[in-house]
Amino acid sequence: MTPSTGTTTGPEQYLARDVAVAKLLAWSGIALVISLVITQGFLMGFIPPPSPNLSAEELAQIFIDRKIGIRIGSLIQCICYSFWGTWAISIVVCMRRMERGIPVVTYASIANAGGAWVFFLLMPITWAMIAFRPESMDPKFIQIMNDYVWFIFILSWPPFAIFMVLIATAIFRDHNLPTIYPRWVAFFNLWCAVLITPAGLIEFVKTGPFAYDGAISFWFIYIVFFGWIMVMSFVTLNTLKRTALQAAA
Amino acid sequence: MKALLLSRVTAVWALLIIATTLSWQLGHGAGFDDARQAGAAILVVTFIKVRLVMRDFMEIRHAPRWMRLIGDAWIVLITVLLVGLFLKTGT
Amino acid sequence: MSDSSEDTALARGSKGHIPGEAGIWLLIAGDLLMFSVLFVIFLVYRAGDLTVFQAGHARLNQTWGLVNTILMLSSSWLVATAIQAARRQMRRVVVACFGLALLCGLGFIVVKVFEYNEKIRADLTLTTNDFFMLYFSYTGIHLIHVVIGMGVLTTLMLYSRSGNFAPAKLRNLESGASFWHLVDLLWIVLFALLYLVGAK
Repeated sequence: MTPSTGTTTGPEQYLARDVAVAKLLAWSGIALVISLVITQGFLMGFIPPPSPNLSAEELAQIFIDRKIGIRIGSLIQCICYSFWGTWAISIVVCMRRMERGIPVVTYASIANAGGAWVFFLLMPITWAMIAFRPESMDPKFIQIMNDYVWFIFILSWPPFAIFMVLIATAIFRDHNLPTIYPRWVAFFNLWCAVLITPAGLIEFVKTGPFAYDGAISFWFIYIVFFGWIMVMSFVTLNTLKRTALQAAA
Repeated sequence: MKALLLSRVTAVWALLIIATTLSWQLGHGAGFDDARQAGAAILVVTFIKVRLVMRDFMEIRHAPRWMRLIGDAWIVLITVLLVGLFLKTGT
Repeated sequence: MSDSSEDTALARGSKGHIPGEAGIWLLIAGDLLMFSVLFVIFLVYRAGDLTVFQAGHARLNQTWGLVNTILMLSSSWLVATAIQAARRQMRRVVVACFGLALLCGLGFIVVKVFEYNEKIRADLTLTTNDFFMLYFSYTGIHLIHVVIGMGVLTTLMLYSRSGNFAPAKLRNLESGASFWHLVDLLWIVLFALLYLVGAK
C-alpha cells in the first residue's frame, strides 16, 4: 500500500492504520465468544456438559446422536478458537504502551498468549475425533476422551489466570496520564483470576457444584471467563478509539 | 498511642469477640431449646458481625450514601435468603 | 467511643470518602457475590441431605473454628488500627500492627493445617460425602484468599517502613486493608455456616 497524499503522511497516519488492525483483533475475541455459544450451545448441546456421573454407554449414545452437530461445531470452533491468540495480542499492544524501559510484562504476555490457544484448539479436535466413529468405538474410550476435553477446558485455568494478573500488573505500572486502561480494569482482572481458581477442584469430585458440570466449576467459571473476554474486548476497543483520536489531534 | 487503643475500632473488636462468644453459646444449646431457632439466631448475629466489619473496619461508615445502601441491601438480602433456606429445611 | 475529630476528617463534605481505590471495591463486591452463591448452595445441599450434614457438623472441631475466628477478628482489628496510626503518621506502630496481623494470619493457616490433618486422618476427605466436599472446597477457597491476603499485608508492611503517609499512600494502604477485612468477613460467615449452625 502506498501512502496517498504527501502532506498527511506521517507517523500519525501509520498509527491510525495500526489501530484499525488492532481493533479488528479485539473484535476477534467477541467472535470467539459468539462462536462458542452457537457451536457448544446449539450445535453440540454441551452447555452444560454431560454429567461426569453418566455411564460410558449413556455418554457414547450422546455422541452417536449428536455426531453431525459435533462435527460441524468443532470445525467452526477450530477456526474461531484460534482467535484467542489474535484477541490477546490486541490487549498486549495496549500493555506495551504502559511499559517504559524493558517491556517485561509485555514479553511475558506474548509468550503466554502464544501457548494458551493450544488448550482452546485441543477441545474441538478431541470432540471431532470422538464424533468421527462413535458407533464402533468402545464407550469406555469415549468416556475417557470426553473427560479429557473437559479437563483441558477447565483445568487449564492457570495460564489464563496468569494473563489476567499480568494485565493488572501492567495497569498498576502504567506511567501515562490518564492511564491507557481505566484502573478498575486492573481490579476486575484480579477478581477474575481469583474466581477461576476453584476450577482445580474438578479433579476430585464427580457430582456437586465443583464437578465439571457443576454450578461453580462450570456455570460460574464459564460466565466469568467468557464475560471477561467480552468486557476486555469492549474496554480495549474503547482504549484504541481514544488512541486514534489522540493521534489525530 | 492511648487514643489509638481507645478508638472506636477497638470497641468494635471487643463487640465482635463478644458476639462470637454469644453465637458459640447459641450453637451449644444456650437460650433456645429448638435447634432451628438457635440456628436462625446464629445467622442473624453473624450478619450483625458482618455489618460491623463492613461499617467500621472497612470504613463504609464514611463512604458515599450509595455505597452504604448497597452494602446494607446485600446484608439484608443474604440474611433473609440464608435464614429462610435454613428454616425451611427443618431438623 | 466516638472519635469526632477523625469523623470530620473523613467525612469530607456530604460526598463521603471511599476507602482505598474505587477499583478494589469492584473486586470485593465480585468476591462477595461468588461467596453469596456458595453460601446459598451450601444450604440447598443441606436441605437435600440433612442427616449427612448434621453428622458432618458434629464431626467438625468447633474449637479450631473458634480459635481461627478470634485470630481473624484480631488481625482485622490490627489492620484497622494500622490505618488509624498511618493517618497519625505513627510509622513504627503501623509496621508493628501489620506485622502482628501477619502473625495472626500465619496462626490461622497453622490451625487449618492441623484441622485438615485431623480430618484426613479420620478418613474424612473431599470425596467422603457432600458435607465434607463443601467443607473442604469452601475452606480451601477461603484459604487461598488468606494466602493472597498475607501477600498483600507483607507488601503493606514493607511499603509502610518509609513512613510519610501522604494521601496517595494512605489510599493504597486502605485498598490493601479492605481486602484483608473481606477475608475476615468471609470467614465470619463460613464459621457460622459450617461450624455453628444446625449442629446437634
